[in-house]
Amino acid sequence: MPKYLCLQRNLPGGDKGADKPSPAQMQAMYAKFNEWREKFKANLTDMGGRLGAGRLITAQPAPDGPLVEVKELVGGYMIVSAATVEEAARVARECPGLVRPGSGVEVIEIHAP
Amino acid sequence: MAEHFFRHEYGRLVATLSRRVGLRHLEAVEDAAQSALVAALESWTQGSVPENPSAWLFHVAHNHVVGELRQQTHRDRLVERNGLGATDATEDGPAAFLAGDVQDDLLRMLFVCCDASIPVESQLVLALKTLCGFDVREIAERLFITEANVYKRLGRARSRLRELPFQDALAGEQVSARLNAVRSVLYLLFTEGYLSSHAEAAIRQELCDEAKRLAVVLAEHPLGGTPETFALVALMHLHNARMAARQDASGGLLLLEEQDRSRWDAREIQLGLSWLAKSAQGDAFSRYHAEAGIAAEHCLAPSFKETRWERIVDCYALLERLSPSMLHTLNRAVAVAEWRGPAEGLAVLSGVEPPSWLAGSYLWAAVLADLHRRCGNEQVAQRYRESALQSAPSAAVKEVLKRRLRAP
Repeated sequence: MPKYLCLQRNLPGGDKGADKPSPAQMQAMYAKFNEWREKFKANLTDMGGRLGAGRLITAQPAPDGPLVEVKELVGGYMIVSAATVEEAARVARECPGLVRPGSGVEVIEIHAP
Repeated sequence: MAEHFFRHEYGRLVATLSRRVGLRHLEAVEDAAQSALVAALESWTQGSVPENPSAWLFHVAHNHVVGELRQQTHRDRLVERNGLGATDATEDGPAAFLAGDVQDDLLRMLFVCCDASIPVESQLVLALKTLCGFDVREIAERLFITEANVYKRLGRARSRLRELPFQDALAGEQVSARLNAVRSVLYLLFTEGYLSSHAEAAIRQELCDEAKRLAVVLAEHPLGGTPETFALVALMHLHNARMAARQDASGGLLLLEEQDRSRWDAREIQLGLSWLAKSAQGDAFSRYHAEAGIAAEHCLAPSFKETRWERIVDCYALLERLSPSMLHTLNRAVAVAEWRGPAEGLAVLSGVEPPSWLAGSYLWAAVLADLHRRCGNEQVAQRYRESALQSAPSAAVKEVLKRRLRAP
């Protein structure tokens, strides 16, 4: 089955839901997330994780400019197995908290060799 | 994962950490508890839940607050004085985070919340925030006050707390001096849930459950477990037993005589009765004993008609003596009316001059409308009926009054 790289991107226009969630809301999010993980466990090949600071290695000394942007825009990744890009997109779309105002997911097919 | 795990862990973390670093740093402690839960949400969803989630949270929150205080006090004075150091998350939980101590910490925090220097309305909000883990918006929603008001009450409580001396443990005599205040706050918390005619059922139930949980912590602790506390716990269980049956399927309120008694929670009644039995020792007879006695009579009655009204009348009479309030007299009149007829009920209230808060409430008008109607005094009944409907606090209460007070 083809694999897809899902990148969480913070969209320009800001983090509107900056309110701190309450403990009760966090528990509800946790429950929803587990339901989602259970529902798509066949698709979730690698839960991935959050991405931290990175470094660009190039043949020539590179300007730091573009990398800063990438660093700020990509929040995390995971790898999803799905028959089609649509199916992979559905897995990502249903993930609680991933697709919301100010944040979206880029789904990219990983070509098998 | 246990129901309300996140909220209750928040309460435990705040209680335990504020004991270690001092109440002056309550805000930093609350931030640390919040951050630990956020970290848990991320880490536990990406990977798996650790074997001992409470200890995991404690380590994260502890490190967070210690780091924060280090930054706050560059000279590290406080950190040194209290012998704090970051704990290593790979170690076993520090000895202080054992279940028994946590109960101690919770109780201590409860007593702190009820400190006499804090106004009562701030005590309630502080307990909901620190011990129950509700945030400002959730508290506002539950107490029918604005968020600004919640902030104001919290601010007042916090500024008082900053002035309190650093205390590690509760001394025995301090506990007994403050037990009454603690019980009143728990009682208040419970009645906020139980008597509220506004909030949806789930929210009300939550407040009652929190009051009950903390009351049980108090009752099971050697310093707090007195007959009066047992009676308070009994009262909560017995009222709680009837909670679900007080509403019909569409959320309308049901009168006691309309309630389906088979929907009363038998387990809650059992628990309530065993706490009540436990409370019958020593020579203190408190208002909680009287109120639990009344609730028990209702729970034990096979039907409205077969209720032992004479016992309920006795309990209300005791209650009036222990905690004088015209509201108790009004309740006694209702019980007397069921026992000996509406005319006798009216007789209880004849010559009684209700205070303005009661005279203006729907309760007073509704009882008089009902008793006069049953005595055949149509005109007087009609007058009270109108004023009851006018001052009804919600549509649901208005509905139930219309049904009960309709002209024959």
